[in-house]
Formats: sequence, structure tokens, C-alpha cells
Amino acid sequence: MTNVFFSWLSTRLLLGAFLTTVAASCDLLEFSPNDTHAPASERDLTQKNLAALARQPVPTRGDTLRFVFTSDSQRYYDDVPPLVASINQQRGLAMVLVGGDISDFGLAREMRWVNDEFRKLKVPYLTVVGNHDLAQNGREAYQKIFGPLNYTFTYAGTRFILVNTNGREYEFNGHVPDVPWLQQQLADTADVRRQVVMAHVPPDDGDFDAAVTPAYTRALEQAPRLVVHLTGHNDKFYVRQPVPGRVTYISGYSIEQRNYLLLTLWGRHQYKLETISY
Amino acid sequence: MQRFATLFAGLLLNSWSATAQSTDTPTPRPWYVPDHATLQTGGGIGMLTAGAGYTPGRHPHRFDADVLVGYVPARYTGHRAFAIFTAKATYSPFSVRLAERWRLLPLSVGGLVNYTPAAQINRNSADKYGYRGYYWWTPTLRAGAFLGSRIALALPRTTGGKREASLYYELGTNDLYLVSYLPNRQGLSLGQLLTLAVGVKVDL
Repeated sequence: MTNVFFSWLSTRLLLGAFLTTVAASCDLLEFSPNDTHAPASERDLTQKNLAALARQPVPTRGDTLRFVFTSDSQRYYDDVPPLVASINQQRGLAMVLVGGDISDFGLAREMRWVNDEFRKLKVPYLTVVGNHDLAQNGREAYQKIFGPLNYTFTYAGTRFILVNTNGREYEFNGHVPDVPWLQQQLADTADVRRQVVMAHVPPDDGDFDAAVTPAYTRALEQAPRLVVHLTGHNDKFYVRQPVPGRVTYISGYSIEQRNYLLLTLWGRHQYKLETISY
Repeated sequence: MQRFATLFAGLLLNSWSATAQSTDTPTPRPWYVPDHATLQTGGGIGMLTAGAGYTPGRHPHRFDADVLVGYVPARYTGHRAFAIFTAKATYSPFSVRLAERWRLLPLSVGGLVNYTPAAQINRNSADKYGYRGYYWWTPTLRAGAFLGSRIALALPRTTGGKREASLYYELGTNDLYLVSYLPNRQGLSLGQLLTLAVGVKVDL
């Protein structure tokens, strides 16, 4: 009887080991570095993180909302685990926003490497597409692994609008960023107390489509609920308000700079900005 | 996957029967006729990759030079299918006899270069960014290196000589994965860079 049990057990174990090996091998069986393959658990991450966010009660009391803004993880893999460890120590945090350039070469595997670390965050993270994420076959890879290039979500009365501003990757065709779409999202203010826009390339940068800049900045200026406009790309932290009392443009740190921004929003326009080193 | 397996087996059998006929000729082959045919999956050069190559040293230690064309269906590229053209060199320095007709080549080392002429690959055109070298790598040309093993079965020829059919695997990586790893040896592990290739070679 014992023998039968052990032979049953060993068969199960062998079969288990075999199936695990086959599954691991299938994952390694790469058809091209430009292929968009990813296991089901590493696809549609935007949608999954949004679902996790929707399930999560707002961790701060009242109308306060706290989140981290970091950017440009591109090929700085050594700097990601300390970032995640530091963020995981923050209290009252609702989410992490990543300002694009998750990858350097636009390869699916790079995006998956970054997710391997970011999935250890205690809170959901949401990304916007960067110009490097559009290199090679990145346009397809990003959409497969993360999701749409333009999207919005609302959390704690705050509407987040994430917009693709990498105009140069589209050879300045006049359609990136998609201003009519942005206007529509900014105008949809049902149950929205305040708005945050996140993009990769800032509108005053040479990689932003100059033909679209006036319409883009005008759309932002005409949105009274907009608290901040967040961008990455420059590896340079600054806060600018070109027109006093209007849009606040914040450029964040890159992951390599070993700093990130901790934003706390409350009321209609109040915010606190802290720089955290790790 | 099952359709793919059937196709793979079908192509293999097809090449087999084609070669069986050609070996009946006793005359020495012209120099340009390849020494072997190859069929592979994975390794970053196609889902289904077929090619031919030369084995200058012949048995038992072998150096193989192959030219291959790979196919990646649209399902795996997000848009249109890719064709990947590869030149590959493999060296297997050791040979261990396992049985009368079986031998093991426990170590193969090799390198390859490949070209993917797909329109959907966003080109790093020189004028896209005003400053040179912003995107410093070539998007369609890749280089790779690999280690692997191979098991070979000797088959009798009607003409008296012998030929081999072999099964191989390779664990490899490419230039972009390697430059991602080198400055990030804490953040990435070697295992995260690996790709697997599995293939068969049949002497013609």
C-alpha cells in the first residue's frame, strides 16, 4: 500500500517537474526579441492594475490622495529594487505613476523585467508610454504588455489622464498627442473634483510635436480642475508655471537619479511635493 | 501549437524523403550542395526556421555554418508576420560515443547575426533625433551567442557511407539583452536573458 502511494506520489512529482520544465521552456522559446509574447500573467497590466486599484479603498482619510511619481526606468535595472523597497515603506500611498520609457529598446522582455520588480510594489502602478517604449516593435509590445497608449481612470475623485506625447516617434504627423481626445477627457467632469495629466515628453521639449503644442497647452489651460501636469523624459526635476496661477508642469526624476516624487493632493488644487531619495 | 507540431513533422519528413533519393547517386557532390538541412524553433530567429549549411571538418568534431530563414506569425508580432534571415556558426569540440549508432556532442558554442526586414519595426532614422546616436543600436540587425548540446544518430547510406540526423538545443541571448545585463548584474540575472532554441539537422 505504501509502495503504491509512493509510486503514485513520485509519478505526480515527476509529472509536475516535467510540466514545470515544459512551461519554463515555452517561455524561453523566443521567436524574436521583437515578438510581443508574454505569459497571461504579464499581459494587460494596465487593466489589471486598474482593477486592483478599484478594489482598494482610499488609504488616506478625507479627500486626501497620495501617490508616487517616478519615470524612465530604461536600462537601470539595478536601481529598481531599491526604489520599490523605498516606496513600499511609504504610508497612505494609493498608487505609483511611471512616466514612460519603461524600456530602452522597446522590447517586450525589457517591459517584463521591469514588471518583475514593480509587481513587488504593495500598491498598483500605472504607466504612460515613452518614446523608447515605441522603438523597434515597442508600439505593439507596450499595448500587449501594458495596454492603451492613451487612457484615463478616476480614483478618489481624481481623474488621471495618461496621454502619449511622443510626437517625434510618429515623425511629427500632427496627431500625437491626440488633442481632441485630451479635450474630451478634460471636459468629462462627472464626479471629478480634480484632474492630473501624465505624459512622457513635456510640451516645451524638442521631441514634442511643435505644431500641436499650442492646442495642447490651451486645452490644459482651459481645464480648471487640473492640479498638475506630470512628465518624464528629461531626467531633470523642475516645477514650472509659465502662466501664473494656471497649469503647474512638473518634470520628475528618472529612476537612475535615485530620487522620486511623493505627491499629496487635497481640496481642489492643493498639493504637497516631496523628494524622496533612495 | 498542435498545427505547428504537425507542420514541423511534415517538413522534417519531407526533407528526409527528398534527401533519401538524392543520396543514391554515387558521384561526389558539387561544392555548392549543402552538407545538411536544418529545422529550428525559437532562439530569437523564428517560430519555424529552415536552412541549410556546410560542415567543413565533417565528423567527429564539427564546425557548422548555416544560413536560415525564420517565420514569426502575426499572432506573435502584434501586427504582421516577420521573416528573419540568419547566418549562424556552431562549433562542437567534443564527441562522446553513446551506443553503436548514437553519439553525444555535449557542448556546442556558436554565434549568429540576423536581419528582420519588417516595416512595423520603428526605424531609428538618423534624422529622427537631432543628436547623433540617440538610438545608437540598429533595430533590424541583431547579433547573438549560444551554448548547447546535440545528440546524433548515424544512419546507413545505400552508397556505403553514413550520415547523421541530430537533435539539438541551444541556450542563447542577443546583443541588446547582454548590454541590458552588463551594467545591471544585481538587477538582472543571467537566466532572465536566456532564449531557448530546439532544432534538428539531417546530413544530406
